[in-house]
Amino acid sequence: MPPAGIPPSRVLPSKESGLFKEVLHYYEDRQLKKGLKTADTILKKFPNHGETLCMKGLILTHMGRREEGLELVKQGIRYDLTSHICWHVFGLIQKGQKNYEEALKSYTQALKFDKDNINILRDAAHLQTQLRHYDALVETRHTLLRLRPQLRQNWIALAVAYTLIGNLTEAKHVLEQFERIVKNVPDYDVEMSEVLLYHVRILEDLGEHNEALALLDTSAKSRMIVDRVAIVEHRARILSQLGKPEAQEAWQGLLEQNPDCYDYYKGFLSNRGIDLDAVTDENRAQALEILQGFSEQFRRAAAPRRIALTIATGDTFKDLFEPYLRSRLAKGIPSVFTDLKALYRDPSKRETIESVAHALLDSLAHAPDAPCPSSIDPTMYIWTLYFLAQHHSHLGRHDRALALLDTALAHTPTLPELYMFRGRVLKRAGDPYGAARWIDQARLLDLQDRFLNARCGKYRLRAGLIEEAGEVFGLFTKKDAPSPAQDLEDMQSLLYLTEEADAQLRIGNYAMALKKYVAIQKVFDDFEDDQFDFHGYSVRKFTINIYLNMLKWEDTLRSHPAYVHAAISASRILVQLHDNPSLATKAASESHLSEAEKKAKKKAKKAEKKVQEETKKAGGNSTNEDKGLEASPPKDDDPDGMKLLQSPEPLERAAKLLKPLSLLAKNNVEAWIAIYDVAVRRKKYLQALQALNQAHRLDAVSPELHIRVVDFKRRWSSLSDSEKPSETVAHVVASSLPSLLPDEVSLEQFNAQYLQRHSARGDAVLAAAKASRALGAPREEVEAAVFNALNADVVLELETAVAIHAFLSEIQSPREDEFRAACKEKFPLSSLFAPRSELPALRKSAVQKEIAEANEEKEEVVS
Amino acid sequence: MNIRLARVEDLPGMQACNLQNLPENYTMKYYLYHALTWPQLSYVAEEDGKIVGYILAKMEEDVSDGDEPHGHVTSISVLRSYRRLGLAKRLMIQSQEAMATVYKAAYVSLHVRKSNRAALGLYRDTLGFTVKDIEKGYYADGEDAYAMRLSLKDLAR
Repeated sequence: MPPAGIPPSRVLPSKESGLFKEVLHYYEDRQLKKGLKTADTILKKFPNHGETLCMKGLILTHMGRREEGLELVKQGIRYDLTSHICWHVFGLIQKGQKNYEEALKSYTQALKFDKDNINILRDAAHLQTQLRHYDALVETRHTLLRLRPQLRQNWIALAVAYTLIGNLTEAKHVLEQFERIVKNVPDYDVEMSEVLLYHVRILEDLGEHNEALALLDTSAKSRMIVDRVAIVEHRARILSQLGKPEAQEAWQGLLEQNPDCYDYYKGFLSNRGIDLDAVTDENRAQALEILQGFSEQFRRAAAPRRIALTIATGDTFKDLFEPYLRSRLAKGIPSVFTDLKALYRDPSKRETIESVAHALLDSLAHAPDAPCPSSIDPTMYIWTLYFLAQHHSHLGRHDRALALLDTALAHTPTLPELYMFRGRVLKRAGDPYGAARWIDQARLLDLQDRFLNARCGKYRLRAGLIEEAGEVFGLFTKKDAPSPAQDLEDMQSLLYLTEEADAQLRIGNYAMALKKYVAIQKVFDDFEDDQFDFHGYSVRKFTINIYLNMLKWEDTLRSHPAYVHAAISASRILVQLHDNPSLATKAASESHLSEAEKKAKKKAKKAEKKVQEETKKAGGNSTNEDKGLEASPPKDDDPDGMKLLQSPEPLERAAKLLKPLSLLAKNNVEAWIAIYDVAVRRKKYLQALQALNQAHRLDAVSPELHIRVVDFKRRWSSLSDSEKPSETVAHVVASSLPSLLPDEVSLEQFNAQYLQRHSARGDAVLAAAKASRALGAPREEVEAAVFNALNADVVLELETAVAIHAFLSEIQSPREDEFRAACKEKFPLSSLFAPRSELPALRKSAVQKEIAEANEEKEEVVS
Repeated sequence: MNIRLARVEDLPGMQACNLQNLPENYTMKYYLYHALTWPQLSYVAEEDGKIVGYILAKMEEDVSDGDEPHGHVTSISVLRSYRRLGLAKRLMIQSQEAMATVYKAAYVSLHVRKSNRAALGLYRDTLGFTVKDIEKGYYADGEDAYAMRLSLKDLAR
């Protein structure tokens, strides 16, 4: 008679019951063929035995027959809804699919029927952590500790759970108890060391600095904590907090260990009452004296000397700067400029830098045709020219930069840095083709260097030479990958994916652009999934402090600039798709794969065929190979991105992409503009208004914001009464909108006022023109408006000129060529305003095979 | 130029640096594995928030019986525009000290391409590594590697 509560269909007679135990053992040992066979034996007699069906399904999943397996598992559950084995199996499979929410539900069900099952509890704990269900996690960890108090990790895991819900006091108690009862800790145990460091951190976070120090010192003395750097760092920090004199010694010790660490200088100075980020006139001299002492003590370290430059002012700055610059230029260090760039925020320092550098150059200059006189150090000469080129280009003086570089190149034609920077200057000046050519020349000087290769690829992408970029990247990607692009995507190269996506967008290939932006989204999804295994691993390894840091990082993962940019750019495409659905069908008719893509497609097809043939030969069942619970990544079935482009509900997809940004990119105006564009089209007027307010808070005069404010009022006013959302919404809009756009001002007036106030800004001129057009102004009027951007008193950035040109093209203006020609005059170095007919030649000139050929071809094009 | 212990939030920057400089690349999980197993051993060189150089290091897991514990440099590189600053050397020294102090590593090992003269110079001439072995076809593209080693006996405290 089976115990109460157990369905009769679960109980097996002794023979089959024994067989079932065998199935479980076979599964544990991953003897999949035997497990399958045994399961089938049971099922022959008992085809509806839920638990066996589930186990068979699990085994099939491990053998790669995932769809079959999942079906069986679902069947099995239906036959035995109260079996913890069935729910556990279901949870395992869902976990393998990374469907963590559902997996946790299954595990919770399983626990209802076997509440002290350690395996299930442990898995549930991992899922709870992943999903940030920290309250439930605490309970689960309590249960596990109760069941196995002799297992050290269970204590630590409970402390971690308390830390995660913010109950540091309880976490502390758990650790104290653990430390009291733990036995047989070997000498020099790294794991125990990490536990103690975790304990110290908790005490610090609780503000119990004296206790933290006591624990730290005792453990350091008994050599229970073995991480010397961590000990001294904690000590220095705590002693500073407590205002103890020994703090100075601690910071000093840290600096002796690593004199290149800025945090240590900060700490030392802070201990003396000097805030490195906010030095006052009163303590400036003292700070400089201290840094001078360190400069003498640590002769090889640049940090104290560089920090002094940040703090010093006036003549003191000049006196410190000159030898600093000299020594670094003499050494031939390429990064002098980037090192000093932060100082440029201070106009007087900028001037000093320029005058000192030019004085230096004057002392080194010699006749270009004569050989370098022996009194002059050629290295210093070249790098001074290079430095000044970077200096002038940074300040927008591109012509001057080019002249300096050309002098340097004549002197030393084999230095890749000179070619690289010349390319960069051209890029800034708006000549992406010239830029790509020069970077290519740099690359050819050292074909072994991947850095030069990567730059070349990037610059080709910027010039719209997408296939050529792939060729270059392919010199360093894995040969057995389907394509260079695929390898870079597999290796999660955010730089590559961003540049390629942007390049595709620039040439109007929305499908491929969207595909690459979505690939970036997937990289971040993968980063999020990566943490899962560490929920168990880090507790076993006892590396708790960094584990907690990792969880924090994961929580703000999508604040990464690559994600923010991808989300904003993708949402723009999706909004355009919504506004103009014919874009998708138009793209389909024009879609063609590039040569590289066709090659990749062929290669992938070949590889897939090979795999199919091999599996046919091997046969489905005849292998014991454990494919695990995670499905292998799906093959790319959308090589030209058309499927993605034509997917339904573009606005919903855009909203999903943008969702993290309202929290993680809340100081980014572009993000709020993107959020607005999606929200207003989804008729979420409050969300749209909130986005406008946030953008306004950050930059009240933003041109893009202006366009949207006009857009919102226009949309809102044109809503009929039946279309208007609830009274509450209407009320909020009515009270909030006037702060952005006063009620009594008409939209035309508002636009005119904005233009008047900001007529010296090219981007504002464009924004007002766009708003005008949206309000129905005639095309001639709009055209005339943007042409004002060319006036001498208007600050017109290259980017804005390009945008205006694109706008004129969009409204099919007959004055487009006129504008283009005017821009050509205004930006003489730029190739972005060349007539379309010149494009093929420009593209060709950007890709050179040999430097010799390059010189030849340059002469051809010019003549 | 700030040289400090690698933090979890530095890992994407290290990955980007690695992809720009070297053909041997890793997915994020591998970086996380290093940081969360040996949090004391990886260092970064950082300028204004950007990772311009790194060392990704570990303790060797497969230690045969009788073999002493030893550290291993999985990957080290510095962006080209930040070379000649001695960053690689400084990163290596910090990591080595930690290997010796925390894990009592007897020596540290690494692999370098036979053709990589610059790296060879750094390891052998500047840092004192010696060539222990030639591992044929070590790299994915078939190139041989020098397996190099440096004793840490005089670093241990």
